[in-house]
Amino acid sequence: MKTLINIKVNGRAWDLAVEPNRTLLDVLRHDLELTGTKRGCDLGECGSCTVILNGKPVNSCLVLAIQANGAEVLTIEGLAGPSGLHPLQRAFVEKGAIQCGFCTPGMILSASSLLQKNPKPGEEEIRTALSGNLCRCTGYQKIVEAIQSVGERGQG
Amino acid sequence: MLLPKFNYHEPRSVDETTRLLGEIGREASVLAGGTDLLVNMKLGKTAPKHVVSLSRIEELRRVRRGQGSLTLGACVTAGGLNEHEEIKAEFNGLCQSAGSLGSPLIRNLATVGGNIVTARPAADLPPSLIAYGASILLKKEKSERTLPLDEFFKGPGQTLREPDEILCAVILNAPPPYSGGGYVKLGVRKALEISLVNVAAFLALDGPNGPIKEARIVLGAVAPIPIRSPSAEAVLMGDKPDDELFEKAGNAASKDAKPIDDFRGSAEYRREMVKVLTKRALKQAYEEAKLREWRRWK
Repeated sequence: MKTLINIKVNGRAWDLAVEPNRTLLDVLRHDLELTGTKRGCDLGECGSCTVILNGKPVNSCLVLAIQANGAEVLTIEGLAGPSGLHPLQRAFVEKGAIQCGFCTPGMILSASSLLQKNPKPGEEEIRTALSGNLCRCTGYQKIVEAIQSVGERGQG
Repeated sequence: MLLPKFNYHEPRSVDETTRLLGEIGREASVLAGGTDLLVNMKLGKTAPKHVVSLSRIEELRRVRRGQGSLTLGACVTAGGLNEHEEIKAEFNGLCQSAGSLGSPLIRNLATVGGNIVTARPAADLPPSLIAYGASILLKKEKSERTLPLDEFFKGPGQTLREPDEILCAVILNAPPPYSGGGYVKLGVRKALEISLVNVAAFLALDGPNGPIKEARIVLGAVAPIPIRSPSAEAVLMGDKPDDELFEKAGNAASKDAKPIDDFRGSAEYRREMVKVLTKRALKQAYEEAKLREWRRWK
């Protein structure tokens, strides 16, 4: 049976009727067409489905949409401001921290959450914060450098 | 991967939950963080008719400090525990184990209660909770019971929890002066990893330099359930803490371990690693005991 939920995604409120067995990831991608959030393993291992749920980065494949009733969700589509790319997004482009791009939304959201808590993280802290996000192109070094450059410029 | 269909329930209080489980407990799975249950449902390992979510029950997410005790609601997340400065100051070993669980993303979902009731032999939190002498509060309709966590596990995935019971809270007594805990996990990689071996240690000293008057060593992933090491604890009791003693305790702990061979590692390797990890966990515990005492005087 479908249940009506209310959820705020990237600042916009939505009323949605969802089946209980649908994940937040599926509702974001299929119902709201926010396909920046990727479906990788679908089992909480890869981090490509990372979203910020009520201020904390989580695997959206492990959250039922119905559990997110009343929640605030930030996806990669909501990160850029009116003046263009978020500093992290710009740094990923500048430093070549993107290869195939599949892990990038998750990487950037995990990184943005880290920079909010810790505006100038060290390499080790960055690697720990990203440890739930896998990059199959193995582009970790440039990803870490991109995040470090934002931290150093104090733009997080 | 699609989740099988189920009836979803979202009770608002513990009473409402226990009433509901009294009716449908046998056909229901309790959903806390979802990091185990939803994965198992996606993989087709389980298909409960009812899913009872605890996510709307405020009191289960609370951390309460009482007279000489600390109560962790069952839905406190591993991430919340890992970052809780007050808890870290008293239960560093516990925060270490919370910080070793899964990944930062998983830790923001996974709960203390979930990591206990799933009863995985390699789980991160139970060894350190047992080392700190934790008890758990289980409730069902019209009754409740408190039991030492040490007695709760029966086998992989098996506990004393009845189908109509929920684990509501974990209760820890404030650690005595000159005491500390440690937790060391060994995996093939650092994140998103199941322990090959993990060891939690707790030491209480009879003054700044010992002797040891209370010792608990708990070994994870080397038996069907987390186990205490009575031999290591006997070695430690009454003696002065130092590296040599910790090494002896590690050797003793290794004899109590009952590991198996599997694709993660051989039993022989695990037994060797128990020695090393026990020694390291004890060193951490001793360092914390000294540090906490120093903080108290500062």
